[in-house]
Amino acid sequence: MRKTYDCVPTLTDSQVLEFCKKGFLMLKGVVPDEINRRTVEYLDTNTHYEPTEILEEDWFVDNVILNPQAAGAVRSLLGKNFGVPILMSNHRVQCPTSAQGWHRDGGSKHGPELNYLQVFYYPQDCPLEFGPTELLPGSHFLFSLSSYMGHYGSIRGSYHSTAPAGSIFITVYSIWHRRSASAAEGIRNMLKYNYWRTVPPQRDWMVEPDFDFATADYTLGAPTFRQQFGDCYDAAEMLFWLCGKSSEFHLMGGQGWPVPAKFMDKPYGVPS
Amino acid sequence: MGATIESVKSQVKQSIEAFKRGDLTEERLNRILEALEMLNQKRQDLLYLQAGSTSVNAGVHGMLLIQNGEVIEPNLDESPYKTVLHAIRDGWRIIKFPEMALLMDESRTYGLGCEFILEKWR
Repeated sequence: MRKTYDCVPTLTDSQVLEFCKKGFLMLKGVVPDEINRRTVEYLDTNTHYEPTEILEEDWFVDNVILNPQAAGAVRSLLGKNFGVPILMSNHRVQCPTSAQGWHRDGGSKHGPELNYLQVFYYPQDCPLEFGPTELLPGSHFLFSLSSYMGHYGSIRGSYHSTAPAGSIFITVYSIWHRRSASAAEGIRNMLKYNYWRTVPPQRDWMVEPDFDFATADYTLGAPTFRQQFGDCYDAAEMLFWLCGKSSEFHLMGGQGWPVPAKFMDKPYGVPS
Repeated sequence: MGATIESVKSQVKQSIEAFKRGDLTEERLNRILEALEMLNQKRQDLLYLQAGSTSVNAGVHGMLLIQNGEVIEPNLDESPYKTVLHAIRDGWRIIKFPEMALLMDESRTYGLGCEFILEKWR
Protein backbone atom coordinates (compact mmCIF):
# COMPACT_ATOMS: atom_id res chain seq x y z
CA MET A 1 0.00 0.00 0.00
CA ARG A 2 1.37 3.39 -0.98
CA LYS A 3 1.89 5.88 1.84
CA THR A 4 3.13 9.41 2.13
CA TYR A 5 4.96 11.06 5.00
CA ASP A 6 5.73 14.55 6.16
CA CYS A 7 8.20 15.86 8.68
CA VAL A 8 10.43 18.83 9.35
CA PRO A 9 13.00 19.48 6.62
CA THR A 10 16.56 19.34 7.93
CA LEU A 11 18.73 20.53 5.05
CA THR A 12 19.83 24.12 4.61
CA ASP A 13 20.21 26.02 1.35
CA SER A 14 23.93 25.22 1.35
CA GLN A 15 23.31 21.53 1.91
CA VAL A 16 20.71 21.37 -0.85
CA LEU A 17 23.17 23.07 -3.20
CA GLU A 18 25.88 20.60 -2.16
CA PHE A 19 23.50 17.77 -3.01
CA CYS A 20 22.84 19.32 -6.41
CA LYS A 21 26.58 19.52 -7.09
CA LYS A 22 27.62 16.05 -5.91
CA GLY A 23 24.44 14.09 -6.44
CA PHE A 24 24.56 12.40 -3.05
CA LEU A 25 24.48 13.00 0.68
CA MET A 26 26.03 10.69 3.27
CA LEU A 27 24.50 10.41 6.74
CA LYS A 28 26.88 8.33 8.82
CA GLY A 29 25.70 6.16 11.70
CA VAL A 30 22.22 7.63 12.02
CA VAL A 31 20.38 4.34 12.66
CA PRO A 32 20.66 2.87 16.19
CA ASP A 33 22.87 -0.20 16.65
CA GLU A 34 19.95 -2.29 17.91
CA ILE A 35 18.05 -1.67 14.68
CA ASN A 36 21.12 -2.44 12.60
CA ARG A 37 21.56 -5.78 14.37
CA ARG A 38 17.88 -6.60 13.97
CA THR A 39 18.02 -5.74 10.27
CA VAL A 40 21.01 -8.03 9.69
CA GLU A 41 19.22 -10.85 11.54
CA TYR A 42 16.13 -10.27 9.39
CA LEU A 43 18.20 -10.36 6.21
CA ASP A 44 19.88 -13.59 7.29
CA THR A 45 16.38 -15.09 7.35
CA ASN A 46 14.94 -13.37 4.30
CA THR A 47 17.78 -13.62 1.80
CA HIS A 48 15.69 -12.69 -1.23
CA TYR A 49 17.16 -9.92 -3.37
CA GLU A 50 13.92 -8.03 -2.86
CA PRO A 51 12.98 -8.46 0.82
CA THR A 52 10.12 -6.00 0.42
CA GLU A 53 8.30 -7.57 3.40
CA ILE A 54 10.69 -5.68 5.70
CA LEU A 55 8.64 -2.58 4.86
CA GLU A 56 5.81 -4.10 6.90
CA GLU A 57 7.96 -4.17 10.05
CA ASP A 58 7.22 -1.14 12.23
CA TRP A 59 10.62 -1.21 13.96
CA PHE A 60 12.29 -0.95 10.52
CA VAL A 61 9.98 1.68 9.08
CA ASP A 62 10.20 3.90 12.16
CA ASN A 63 13.97 3.75 12.50
CA VAL A 64 15.22 3.42 8.93
CA ILE A 65 12.61 4.55 6.41
CA LEU A 66 11.37 7.37 8.63
CA ASN A 67 14.69 7.91 10.38
CA PRO A 68 14.55 11.58 11.43
CA GLN A 69 17.78 12.62 9.75
CA ALA A 70 17.18 10.66 6.57
CA ALA A 71 13.51 11.58 6.29
CA GLY A 72 14.36 15.21 7.06
CA ALA A 73 16.80 15.25 4.16
CA VAL A 74 14.30 13.52 1.86
CA ARG A 75 11.63 16.03 2.92
CA SER A 76 14.02 18.86 2.04
CA LEU A 77 14.65 17.51 -1.44
CA LEU A 78 11.27 16.07 -2.40
CA GLY A 79 8.91 18.39 -0.55
CA LYS A 80 6.12 17.61 1.86
CA ASN A 81 4.07 14.42 1.79
CA PHE A 82 6.71 12.47 -0.07
CA GLY A 83 5.97 8.90 -1.06
CA VAL A 84 7.73 6.29 1.06
CA PRO A 85 9.36 3.19 -0.48
CA ILE A 86 7.19 0.39 -1.82
CA LEU A 87 10.09 -1.78 -2.93
CA MET A 88 13.15 -2.94 -1.04
CA SER A 89 16.25 -4.38 -2.69
CA ASN A 90 19.14 -6.03 -0.89
CA HIS A 91 22.56 -6.10 -2.48
CA ARG A 92 23.72 -9.07 -0.44
CA VAL A 93 27.23 -9.97 -1.44
CA GLN A 94 29.49 -12.82 -0.45
CA CYS A 95 32.89 -11.19 -0.05
CA PRO A 96 35.57 -11.21 -1.31
CA THR A 97 34.51 -10.40 -4.81
CA SER A 98 35.60 -8.25 -7.72
CA ALA A 99 34.35 -4.77 -8.50
CA GLN A 100 31.08 -4.37 -10.34
CA GLY A 101 31.03 -2.44 -13.59
CA TRP A 102 30.22 1.26 -13.49
CA HIS A 103 26.56 1.87 -14.27
CA ARG A 104 23.57 4.09 -13.72
CA ASP A 105 20.43 2.22 -12.79
CA GLY A 106 17.83 1.41 -15.39
CA GLY A 107 15.21 4.11 -15.84
CA SER A 108 17.67 6.96 -15.28
CA LYS A 109 16.75 10.32 -16.73
CA HIS A 110 19.26 13.14 -16.98
CA GLY A 111 18.38 16.72 -16.20
CA PRO A 112 17.66 19.14 -13.38
CA GLU A 113 14.44 17.52 -12.20
CA LEU A 114 14.43 15.58 -8.94
CA ASN A 115 11.24 13.60 -8.61
CA TYR A 116 12.60 10.60 -6.71
CA LEU A 117 15.62 9.64 -4.66
CA GLN A 118 17.60 6.44 -4.50
CA VAL A 119 18.69 5.68 -0.96
CA PHE A 120 21.17 3.15 0.41
CA TYR A 121 21.38 1.81 3.97
CA TYR A 122 24.27 -0.13 5.48
CA PRO A 123 23.03 -2.17 8.45
CA GLN A 124 26.60 -3.28 9.14
CA ASP A 125 30.01 -1.65 9.01
CA CYS A 126 31.19 -1.21 5.45
CA PRO A 127 34.91 -0.43 5.37
CA LEU A 128 36.89 -0.55 2.14
CA GLU A 129 37.50 -4.30 2.64
CA PHE A 130 33.77 -5.00 2.28
CA GLY A 131 33.37 -3.33 -1.09
CA PRO A 132 31.37 -0.18 -0.34
CA THR A 133 29.42 1.41 -3.16
CA GLU A 134 31.68 3.66 -5.21
CA LEU A 135 30.05 6.83 -6.53
CA LEU A 136 31.25 9.36 -9.07
CA PRO A 137 30.39 12.83 -7.70
CA GLY A 138 28.53 14.99 -10.19
CA SER A 139 27.92 12.11 -12.59
CA HIS A 140 24.14 12.43 -12.28
CA PHE A 141 24.56 15.08 -14.96
CA LEU A 142 26.78 12.94 -17.22
CA PHE A 143 24.84 11.29 -19.96
CA SER A 144 26.03 7.83 -20.85
CA LEU A 145 24.45 4.47 -21.39
CA SER A 146 25.27 1.73 -18.89
CA SER A 147 26.13 -0.58 -21.75
CA TYR A 148 28.76 1.95 -22.86
CA MET A 149 30.44 2.12 -19.46
CA GLY A 150 31.78 -1.42 -19.43
CA HIS A 151 35.34 -0.39 -20.18
CA TYR A 152 35.63 2.21 -17.41
CA GLY A 153 37.80 1.28 -14.44
CA SER A 154 39.61 3.58 -12.05
CA ILE A 155 38.12 7.10 -12.24
CA ARG A 156 39.75 10.08 -10.58
CA GLY A 157 37.56 11.75 -7.98
CA SER A 158 35.40 8.73 -7.24
CA TYR A 159 34.01 8.39 -3.71
CA HIS A 160 34.01 5.13 -1.72
CA SER A 161 31.05 5.18 0.63
CA THR A 162 32.93 3.62 3.54
CA ALA A 163 30.72 4.02 6.56
CA PRO A 164 29.85 2.56 9.95
CA ALA A 165 26.74 0.47 10.52
CA GLY A 166 23.59 2.55 10.49
CA SER A 167 24.68 4.83 7.69
CA ILE A 168 22.26 6.03 5.03
CA PHE A 169 23.21 7.78 1.86
CA ILE A 170 20.81 9.56 -0.41
CA THR A 171 21.49 9.85 -4.13
CA VAL A 172 20.15 11.26 -7.36
CA TYR A 173 18.87 8.18 -9.15
CA SER A 174 21.02 8.65 -12.24
CA ILE A 175 24.37 8.90 -10.43
CA TRP A 176 27.08 6.55 -11.70
CA HIS A 177 27.96 3.91 -9.14
CA ARG A 178 29.17 0.38 -8.61
CA ARG A 179 30.05 -2.10 -5.90
CA SER A 180 33.78 -1.78 -5.32
CA ALA A 181 36.11 -4.75 -4.99
CA SER A 182 36.20 -6.45 -1.59
CA ALA A 183 38.99 -8.36 0.10
CA ALA A 184 37.44 -9.43 3.41
CA GLU A 185 35.56 -12.67 4.10
CA GLY A 186 31.86 -12.51 4.90
CA ILE A 187 28.42 -11.31 3.85
CA ARG A 188 27.74 -7.66 3.10
CA ASN A 189 24.14 -6.48 3.10
CA MET A 190 23.12 -3.16 1.62
CA LEU A 191 19.52 -2.12 1.28
CA LYS A 192 18.38 0.13 -1.53
CA TYR A 193 15.02 1.89 -1.90
CA ASN A 194 13.33 4.92 -3.44
CA TYR A 195 11.30 7.87 -2.16
CA TRP A 196 8.93 9.79 -4.41
CA ARG A 197 7.86 13.42 -4.94
CA THR A 198 4.15 14.13 -4.77
CA VAL A 199 4.14 17.95 -4.79
CA PRO A 200 5.68 20.58 -7.09
CA PRO A 201 9.13 21.75 -5.98
CA GLN A 202 9.54 24.84 -3.82
CA ARG A 203 12.16 26.27 -1.50
CA ASP A 204 10.62 25.01 1.71
CA TRP A 205 13.69 23.50 3.31
CA MET A 206 15.74 25.37 5.97
CA VAL A 207 16.28 28.77 4.39
CA GLU A 208 19.54 30.46 5.35
CA PRO A 209 18.96 34.20 5.75
CA ASP A 210 22.35 35.04 4.29
CA PHE A 211 22.31 32.54 1.42
CA ASP A 212 22.87 34.50 -1.77
CA PHE A 213 22.04 32.76 -5.06
CA ALA A 214 24.22 35.29 -6.86
CA THR A 215 27.43 34.53 -4.99
CA ALA A 216 26.94 30.92 -3.89
CA ASP A 217 29.65 28.48 -4.91
CA TYR A 218 28.29 26.19 -7.62
CA THR A 219 31.60 24.49 -8.43
CA LEU A 220 32.04 20.75 -8.01
CA GLY A 221 35.84 20.57 -8.01
CA ALA A 222 38.00 18.78 -10.55
CA PRO A 223 37.52 16.63 -12.44
CA THR A 224 34.03 17.58 -13.61
CA PHE A 225 34.08 15.64 -16.93
CA ARG A 226 32.35 18.62 -18.53
CA GLN A 227 33.27 21.80 -20.33
CA GLN A 228 34.57 24.59 -18.10
CA PHE A 229 31.76 25.94 -15.87
CA GLY A 230 29.46 23.11 -16.99
CA ASP A 231 29.38 21.85 -13.40
CA CYS A 232 28.21 25.30 -12.18
CA TYR A 233 25.53 25.55 -14.86
CA ASP A 234 24.16 22.09 -14.05
CA ALA A 235 24.11 22.58 -10.28
CA ALA A 236 22.51 26.04 -10.55
CA GLU A 237 19.82 24.75 -12.88
CA MET A 238 18.98 21.92 -10.51
CA LEU A 239 18.84 24.26 -7.52
CA PHE A 240 16.48 26.58 -9.39
CA TRP A 241 14.29 23.64 -10.34
CA LEU A 242 14.13 22.57 -6.69
CA CYS A 243 13.13 26.12 -5.75
CA GLY A 244 10.28 25.89 -8.25
CA LYS A 245 11.90 28.61 -10.33
CA SER A 246 13.11 26.73 -13.37
CA SER A 247 11.20 29.13 -15.64
CA GLU A 248 13.40 31.95 -14.31
CA PHE A 249 16.64 30.08 -14.88
CA HIS A 250 18.76 31.62 -17.59
CA LEU A 251 22.42 31.50 -18.50
CA MET A 252 23.88 34.69 -19.88
CA GLY A 253 27.18 33.04 -20.77
CA GLY A 254 30.65 34.54 -20.74
CA GLN A 255 31.74 35.53 -17.26
CA GLY A 256 28.14 35.88 -16.18
CA TRP A 257 26.52 34.04 -13.27
CA PRO A 258 27.14 31.37 -11.97
CA VAL A 259 30.79 31.36 -13.08
CA PRO A 260 33.10 31.35 -10.03
CA ALA A 261 35.44 34.32 -9.88
CA LYS A 262 36.62 37.13 -7.63
CA PHE A 263 34.15 39.74 -8.87
CA MET A 264 34.20 43.25 -7.41
CA ASP A 265 30.40 43.28 -7.48
CA LYS A 266 27.57 40.85 -8.04
CA PRO A 267 28.00 39.03 -11.35
CA TYR A 268 25.95 39.89 -14.40
CA GLY A 269 23.26 37.51 -15.50
CA VAL A 270 21.82 36.53 -12.13
CA PRO A 271 18.19 35.53 -12.71
CA SER A 272 15.89 38.12 -11.18
CA MET B 1 62.32 -15.62 -24.45
CA GLY B 2 59.28 -15.27 -26.75
CA ALA B 3 59.40 -15.53 -30.54
CA THR B 4 59.30 -12.43 -32.71
CA ILE B 5 58.94 -12.04 -36.45
CA GLU B 6 62.57 -10.97 -36.57
CA SER B 7 63.77 -14.04 -34.68
CA VAL B 8 61.78 -16.36 -36.98
CA LYS B 9 63.20 -14.60 -40.06
CA SER B 10 66.67 -15.13 -38.67
CA GLN B 11 65.96 -18.84 -38.15
CA VAL B 12 64.72 -19.18 -41.75
CA LYS B 13 67.84 -17.45 -43.09
CA GLN B 14 70.04 -19.76 -41.05
CA SER B 15 68.10 -22.75 -42.40
CA ILE B 16 68.63 -21.57 -46.00
CA GLU B 17 72.35 -21.37 -45.32
CA ALA B 18 72.20 -24.83 -43.77
CA PHE B 19 70.35 -26.11 -46.85
CA LYS B 20 73.04 -24.67 -49.13
CA ARG B 21 75.68 -26.35 -47.01
CA GLY B 22 73.72 -29.60 -47.15
CA ASP B 23 73.28 -29.94 -43.38
CA LEU B 24 69.66 -28.77 -42.95
CA THR B 25 67.99 -31.03 -40.41
CA GLU B 26 64.41 -31.91 -39.57
CA GLU B 27 65.08 -30.66 -36.03
CA ARG B 28 66.00 -27.18 -37.27
CA LEU B 29 62.77 -26.97 -39.33
CA ASN B 30 60.73 -28.14 -36.31
CA ARG B 31 62.23 -25.30 -34.26
CA ILE B 32 60.91 -22.83 -36.85
CA LEU B 33 57.46 -24.42 -36.63
CA GLU B 34 57.52 -24.07 -32.84
CA ALA B 35 58.53 -20.43 -33.13
CA LEU B 36 55.65 -19.78 -35.55
CA GLU B 37 53.21 -21.37 -33.10
CA MET B 38 54.56 -19.11 -30.34
CA LEU B 39 53.96 -16.11 -32.57
CA ASN B 40 50.30 -17.11 -32.81
CA GLN B 41 50.06 -17.17 -29.02
CA LYS B 42 50.96 -13.50 -28.62
CA ARG B 43 48.49 -11.51 -26.58
CA GLN B 44 47.22 -7.99 -27.02
CA ASP B 45 47.34 -5.71 -24.00
CA LEU B 46 44.90 -2.80 -23.99
CA LEU B 47 45.00 0.47 -22.11
CA TYR B 48 41.88 2.63 -21.93
CA LEU B 49 42.68 6.19 -20.91
CA GLN B 50 40.08 8.91 -20.40
CA ALA B 51 41.71 12.32 -20.60
CA GLY B 52 40.75 15.93 -19.97
CA SER B 53 41.07 16.90 -23.63
CA THR B 54 41.97 15.47 -27.02
CA SER B 55 45.63 16.39 -26.44
CA VAL B 56 47.96 13.51 -25.69
CA ASN B 57 49.44 15.84 -23.08
CA ALA B 58 46.15 16.16 -21.19
CA GLY B 59 45.83 14.72 -17.70
CA VAL B 60 44.39 11.23 -17.35
CA HIS B 61 41.34 10.91 -15.12
CA GLY B 62 40.20 7.40 -15.92
CA MET B 63 42.02 4.16 -16.67
CA LEU B 64 41.49 0.46 -17.29
CA LEU B 65 44.23 -1.98 -18.24
CA ILE B 66 43.89 -5.36 -19.93
CA GLN B 67 47.25 -7.04 -19.38
CA ASN B 68 48.12 -10.62 -20.24
CA GLY B 69 44.41 -11.45 -20.46
CA GLU B 70 43.59 -9.96 -17.06
CA VAL B 71 41.45 -6.90 -16.32
CA ILE B 72 43.30 -4.52 -13.99
CA GLU B 73 42.19 -1.23 -12.45
CA PRO B 74 45.38 0.69 -11.75
CA ASN B 75 45.59 3.12 -8.86
CA LEU B 76 45.52 6.46 -10.65
CA ASP B 77 47.73 8.14 -8.07
CA GLU B 78 50.39 5.45 -8.39
CA SER B 79 50.19 5.02 -12.16
CA PRO B 80 53.18 6.28 -14.16
CA TYR B 81 50.78 7.38 -16.90
CA LYS B 82 49.71 10.83 -15.76
CA THR B 83 49.08 11.75 -19.41
CA VAL B 84 48.53 9.78 -22.60
CA LEU B 85 52.00 10.87 -23.69
CA HIS B 86 53.55 9.08 -20.71
CA ALA B 87 52.00 5.84 -21.95
CA ILE B 88 53.23 6.42 -25.50
CA ARG B 89 56.75 6.94 -24.19
CA ASP B 90 56.43 3.58 -22.44
CA GLY B 91 55.76 1.83 -25.72
CA TRP B 92 51.96 1.95 -25.92
CA ARG B 93 50.52 2.52 -29.37
CA ILE B 94 47.30 4.47 -29.84
CA ILE B 95 44.71 2.50 -31.80
CA LYS B 96 41.75 4.79 -31.22
CA PHE B 97 41.54 8.54 -30.72
CA PRO B 98 38.61 10.35 -29.03
CA GLU B 99 35.48 10.47 -31.16
CA MET B 100 35.52 14.14 -32.13
CA ALA B 101 32.07 13.95 -33.67
CA LEU B 102 30.63 13.11 -30.27
CA LEU B 103 32.31 16.04 -28.56
CA MET B 104 30.95 18.87 -30.66
CA ASP B 105 27.75 19.53 -28.73
CA GLU B 106 28.83 21.36 -25.59
CA SER B 107 25.35 21.25 -24.12
CA ARG B 108 25.62 17.51 -23.64
CA THR B 109 28.16 15.25 -22.03
CA TYR B 110 29.10 11.83 -23.23
CA GLY B 111 30.54 9.58 -20.60
CA LEU B 112 33.95 10.55 -19.34
CA GLY B 113 34.83 12.47 -22.47
CA CYS B 114 38.06 12.15 -24.43
CA GLU B 115 39.02 8.52 -24.62
CA PHE B 116 42.19 7.04 -26.02
CA ILE B 117 42.64 3.30 -26.49
CA LEU B 118 46.21 2.01 -26.69
CA GLU B 119 47.73 -1.41 -27.26
CA LYS B 120 50.86 -3.43 -26.73
CA TRP B 121 51.61 -6.96 -27.84
CA ARG B 122 53.33 -9.48 -25.64
